[in-house]
Amino acid sequence: MSNANQLAMVKRDTVDIVADKVRQFQERGEIHFPANYSPENAMKSAWLILQNTQDKNYKPVLETCTRDSIANALLDMVVQGLNPSKKQGYFIAYGKSLAFQRSYFGTMTVTKDVTSAEDIDTQIIYEDDQFEFEIVRGRKRVTLHKSDFKNIDDEKIAGAYCTIYWPDDREYTEIMTIKEIRQSWKKSKQNPDKEGSTHNEFPGEMAKRTVINRTCKAYMNTSNDSSLIMKHFNRQDEFIAEAEVEAEIADNANGDIIDVTPDPVIKTSQDTDPNLQQEGPNQDVMDFSDDVPPMKKTSDGPDF
Amino acid sequence: MIDITCLGSSSAGNAYRITDGHTALLLEAGFPYKSLQRSLEFRMSDIEGCLITHEHSDHSKAAKDVMKAGVNIYTSQGTADALKLSGYRLKVITAHGQFAIGTWTIKPFEIEHDAEEPLGFVLANQAGDKLVFLTDTYYCRYRFVGLTHIMVECNYSLDIINSRVAKGDLHPAQKKRLLRSHFGLEHVKGFLRANDISKVQEIWLLHLSDGNSDAARFKQEIQETTGKLVYVADR
Repeated sequence: MSNANQLAMVKRDTVDIVADKVRQFQERGEIHFPANYSPENAMKSAWLILQNTQDKNYKPVLETCTRDSIANALLDMVVQGLNPSKKQGYFIAYGKSLAFQRSYFGTMTVTKDVTSAEDIDTQIIYEDDQFEFEIVRGRKRVTLHKSDFKNIDDEKIAGAYCTIYWPDDREYTEIMTIKEIRQSWKKSKQNPDKEGSTHNEFPGEMAKRTVINRTCKAYMNTSNDSSLIMKHFNRQDEFIAEAEVEAEIADNANGDIIDVTPDPVIKTSQDTDPNLQQEGPNQDVMDFSDDVPPMKKTSDGPDF
Repeated sequence: MIDITCLGSSSAGNAYRITDGHTALLLEAGFPYKSLQRSLEFRMSDIEGCLITHEHSDHSKAAKDVMKAGVNIYTSQGTADALKLSGYRLKVITAHGQFAIGTWTIKPFEIEHDAEEPLGFVLANQAGDKLVFLTDTYYCRYRFVGLTHIMVECNYSLDIINSRVAKGDLHPAQKKRLLRSHFGLEHVKGFLRANDISKVQEIWLLHLSDGNSDAARFKQEIQETTGKLVYVADR
């Protein structure tokens, strides 16, 4: 932003509007924040971070993104009770749309808040580990996981699991094989197969992240909760998918001109007898005119 | 003068017959061969070539039978491999490699769909007509000059999709797939605005989704955007 006035206007159109909206939610009892969460502080942190956030062309997002999308990104953050200064999420611009993208710390925070879970733990399973689990009434439960210091090797990851624990001893576990984990990475826009990608450099950490996200989302979606928080929790994926497509289309669509000019020396099939055509060495590989059978012009045929 | 006949245009099957009065072509073969024959009134021998955009069965179901009936199939290597097509009736074409069938000169180009090597086609004839055939792509990388006929997919509208997702009639994962595989009304408008359509005589809207579209509304909005004659291909 070139001057403080403009910045103040963006703030008024986004931060102030979101703060009002959050107050309304609170007054109507639609939302309750954890005791240690201050929406005001989170918004202040977010505003500071936003002023230094740039899009992929190194332009400030407060200049390039729509005010609606900035306000919605802030609202997504606050409703989920997250704070960007604690790395619980990031602001990312997709073209003109700003999205709040939860980090896996953020996903764990929301899951704990919404489900009153006590702990969320995750482990990597290495190839030579002893690992056993049972399935009781459709729920997986890890019964044995013995590892060894010498097993720890990022090139020998067999899988990962994550368990959510509640104070009353309930637990919920998801287990993923490395194949499933890699399959899920393929969906990532960050080019995980590229040499030197974060996924290839730190497969263990990335695998943990993947299984945490899978477990928390799966649990949150099975728990029958249509609250405001769940709406914003689930909005992220859908919104980002939509914004990504919009940005991709804006970048790539309707670019170079492509044209086709009818070949002036083209022989129509009427005056070509395919049997007489010699396939010369200079024949264009894409020239199939020889292959076309002579067109039968019959006087009684329908006239198109 | 180009004559376009729609034999079917939906995820249940796609096929179109186009002719310039000299050479008749089949665009797609996405029906069982018998129904294709029936729709063509058993005049398969008129057809001088069949262009297939990609391997999904609603575009390619009858490909092998069409070849057996003596009609050449023109498609990419990726599509041919996915469909396990081979033989002398298969003509492998590549993006930007121009070729001719009868009075038509055809240039294929890459499109954006979740298939092996999908293609779109721009076709010109010696009478000065130029037709673009663009389906199963969520946008088009290219622009075209001097088009007289546009056949373009117009699968869904985002507002219809969003209201169905909100109601729980459409799974969010289906929405995600749609956004990256099919042409939506809003993006079709963008495509039409980006092209010089001054010579366009007809616009055909193809492949409307069963649940996510509204034929009358799409026709009206495209007419308003372009001021052209708009047909919605019969499903």
